[in-house]
Amino acid sequence: MNLFFRELKANSKSLILWCIGILLMVASGMSKFGGVSSSGQSMNELMKAMPKALQAIMGTGSLDISTAGGYYGILFLYLMVMGAIHASMLGSTIVSKEERDKTVEFLLVKPISRNKVITWKLIAALVNVLIFNIVTFISSATVVEYYNDGISLHGDIALLLAGMFILQLIFLFLGTAIASATMNPKAAGSVSTAILMGTFLLSIIIDISSSIDFLKYLTPFKYFEAKQVMFGEGLDVVFLILSASFIFIFLFVTYKLYKVKDMAV
Amino acid sequence: MSVIEISNLTKIYGKARGINNISFTVEEGEIFGFIGPNGAGKSTTIRTLLGLIYPTGGSAKIFGKDCIKDGPKIKKEIGYLPSEVFYYDNMKVLDLLKYSASFYKKDCSKRIRELADIMDLDLSKKIDDLSLGNRKKVGIIQGLLHEPKLIILDEPTSGLDPLMQQKFFDLLKEENKKGATILFSSHILTEVQRLCDRVAIIKEGEIVTLEKISTLKESTYKKFKIETAAPIDKEYFQIEGVNDLEEDGVTASFLFKGNVNSMMKKIAGIDIVNIWVEEPDLEEIFMHYYEKED
Repeated sequence: MNLFFRELKANSKSLILWCIGILLMVASGMSKFGGVSSSGQSMNELMKAMPKALQAIMGTGSLDISTAGGYYGILFLYLMVMGAIHASMLGSTIVSKEERDKTVEFLLVKPISRNKVITWKLIAALVNVLIFNIVTFISSATVVEYYNDGISLHGDIALLLAGMFILQLIFLFLGTAIASATMNPKAAGSVSTAILMGTFLLSIIIDISSSIDFLKYLTPFKYFEAKQVMFGEGLDVVFLILSASFIFIFLFVTYKLYKVKDMAV
Repeated sequence: MSVIEISNLTKIYGKARGINNISFTVEEGEIFGFIGPNGAGKSTTIRTLLGLIYPTGGSAKIFGKDCIKDGPKIKKEIGYLPSEVFYYDNMKVLDLLKYSASFYKKDCSKRIRELADIMDLDLSKKIDDLSLGNRKKVGIIQGLLHEPKLIILDEPTSGLDPLMQQKFFDLLKEENKKGATILFSSHILTEVQRLCDRVAIIKEGEIVTLEKISTLKESTYKKFKIETAAPIDKEYFQIEGVNDLEEDGVTASFLFKGNVNSMMKKIAGIDIVNIWVEEPDLEEIFMHYYEKED
């Protein structure tokens, strides 16, 4: 328990900063909608006229940006990226920082098993990720509702954020798995960020070129897209199963490799 | 009873460093010195004992239990002071010590105050702001606050001034009297000489010798220095049992191991002006062990 509270405290400042970032992102992002919506359908037509690549980069695709929900769908892509970056950095540092700061010679000579160390750290990280997600949900629901003049979108946003939570878990445990696997504690953060950016780029490339659509299974950013979750059939079972398998594998690797690891001191 | 039993412990990292086939035991209530130059494998041995790294061969037992399998259990009774003290940023000394204490299921607050008084440490300061010596003190208190039965110290005196060092040694002797076993690694021989009962000398990952401090010093080594009236023949003292012979015209100095009578007869054969016969200090014996191997 002491380790859990220590981790909560150690990460509190960074979590607060991330949450402020989210609030600003949602508020400023949606405030632009005020301007767009007054121009009505013309904005949609303008978007359609843009090359497909540009549409993909902006994340518009098939979303109707003249509605608050559709506009939020674009914004959500960036919220997902933020959530993923936060989770992967949190995951990789929460495990690797003891080695990086050489406090591992303090922590691991205490009467606590390595499995317990990982368990408490993961629980603390989960709490962080959950708070991040809840703050995103509350701010999104409030701000979107302010601009929305159709039926309530709370349910849709909740479903989107459920998807984002799964994405956060994938990247959180990817981070912890890499931190457990690597011998160089300083590299853990950059390796997981590189994988994150790689999968994100892949998701954009898939949007541009539909011929490589089958690669969508490789990038979690394609699993819970707004156009699918809000305006399609909701969360996709195949993607849910894939996510669960990734989470399970990363968790397994985290525990397994941390247990047999020679600590770098 | 043996508190630490190390048998054929081997740790190979890549190619160079590591330890090879180390075996020794530390008995209950003993202060055991572990000496060798930097990079000889002292820290590697200790880190393997503490389960920070895993052995490639052999095994080690602490309190009769396997140091890897029963790690969390035996660590309740171990206090460890690493050679370099690193702690969580932005923590006050007292917070760090309380955090450390929270891993042991006993109330250590009284002991923390006692130790801080002895070591003259301000508990309200931030660890970041402390000097090297004061950080070391935090490490010492952190290692002793739960009154462990086994205290493992890796180069504990670096950064401490002589006065503090003395206080620290007194503290260790007191803990030892109360029944604590101490494993003390160092490259400074005089401090080992002052404190330890037995000593293992490690070199390039292997134990070179393991002896009682008293035997090591007594092992009939004598340090001779002779001044003569006429220049000494260079070959004169090149006899069995003489080591580290240094001659400089009318003076000669060397370490001698063997029958003192034969040496006295040899010396009686020349006309001497002055003579010094001394107990060599550990350092000289130690250097001797090292040179012999080369």
